Amino acid sequence: MEDVQVVAMLVRRCVAGDAAAWEEIVQTYNRRIYNICYRFAGSADDAEDLAQEVFIKMYRTLASYDSSKGAFVTWVTTITRNLLVDHFRKTKQDRITDSLDAATSAHEDALPLSEQIQDQSAPPDARVRSREVGETVHAALARLSPELREAVILRDLQDLDYREIATVLKVPEGTVKSRINRGRAELARLLQRTYRQVM
Amino acid sequence: MPDKTSNGVQCHEFDTLLSDALDGVLTGVQLDAFHAHTRTCSVCGPLFAEVQAGRNWLKDLTEVEPPASLVTNILASTTGVDTQRLRVNVSASQGASSFSPSWWERAQAHISGAIQPIWGTVRQPRFAMSFGMAFFSLSVALSVLGVKPADLRSISLRPAAIRHTYYNTQARVVRYYENIRFVYEVESRVRELKRNVVPAEAAPAGEKKDHKNDTTQQPEQKQDRNYSQNDTHLILACAPLGPSVFDSLNHDPLNQDSLNLDQRDQDPLNQDLPVVSVTTYRRFV
Ligand SMILES: [Zn+2]
Repeated sequence: MEDVQVVAMLVRRCVAGDAAAWEEIVQTYNRRIYNICYRFAGSADDAEDLAQEVFIKMYRTLASYDSSKGAFVTWVTTITRNLLVDHFRKTKQDRITDSLDAATSAHEDALPLSEQIQDQSAPPDARVRSREVGETVHAALARLSPELREAVILRDLQDLDYREIATVLKVPEGTVKSRINRGRAELARLLQRTYRQVM
Repeated sequence: MPDKTSNGVQCHEFDTLLSDALDGVLTGVQLDAFHAHTRTCSVCGPLFAEVQAGRNWLKDLTEVEPPASLVTNILASTTGVDTQRLRVNVSASQGASSFSPSWWERAQAHISGAIQPIWGTVRQPRFAMSFGMAFFSLSVALSVLGVKPADLRSISLRPAAIRHTYYNTQARVVRYYENIRFVYEVESRVRELKRNVVPAEAAPAGEKKDHKNDTTQQPEQKQDRNYSQNDTHLILACAPLGPSVFDSLNHDPLNQDSLNLDQRDQDPLNQDLPVVSVTTYRRFV
């Protein structure tokens, strides 16, 4: 997905102080990084802050990137993932109460998710419907454990291969596959419960 | 997961086969065996259905558009560039403006583009702090050496003049050092004289307590409060516990006496020993 030579050259220029090269890197990767952050953190505001943090960290450590050790996109994703883990740990305390609330309602009747699908009886046009589904899936994704969530995001949303994901997460490929499958299955269970409620 | 074999596929290898099957990597006999296992195994069958459903759900998550300000903010916080050029880029991409930058704005963007790698680093808080501290230290050092900003204007850069300035500064530093040494020497002499006079009067053992009023002991008491948790502190800390506290407090002066007795016991021979050495010794007891 990336021309190794081109990216290596871009990084070299950037390390040498070429601002245009840095801008090109930012333009190329901001969408990808923002999306990983958004799907993992759940909120657009957090995603914007986190993506900015990722680029600040990238900018400071760009000289340490070694193209012989792996693709730039893997390096960038690793930085992003590490920052997300830090962010998760930092905000863990806040979320403990949140997830307890969510768990309770999930056991009762999965209300928080089903509430997001409004008025199924009067079908709106396809685009609105697809947006609603997207929001529901996004909300369900936020309920997965961080290990499963990150694996699923990197595979199904970012299209990284197993080897790349294994590098980013620093776990064996077998573990990566297992987490992806468990993540997908868990997501399906959450959504099935939701839609059974609604329909 | 029960580890049973059905149709030549074991449950524990199902995970790997599952990924391969969904990725379309599994073919031929392997694929047939996989599907046969899925149909017959009560654990792997439902799992396959769920994994497949989950993957389909995730396909509904299309990429979202990052906020238009993201790139601008990133560049501003990394290279320190918040140029008109970028603002124009953003507004142009939003179709909000047909404004084109003047030559002055383009020049500004160009210049800041040239200095931004350095400026970006300097702008980071930790570097800014370091630079600030370095500047502060330098200005303190210069003012100690008697260098005034006004002097800098009249500085001559001829080699001879630089040599002259160097020797002048060196002489000033030496003089400053000598002055400080002189003050310290006078001080220590005075202290020595005092010590030689006072113990001669305080020679009788009973009056040794007067040392308590000697100002040279004050630092010692202060050190005790800071470095050790002595009895007095413990008693005060548990003050509300009972009436015994007040007894203990009453004993406080006695404690002080015993301290002084200790001191006397430790240096009965040489009363000219500096008090400080006694302090140090007692703290280790
Ligand atoms: Zn099975």
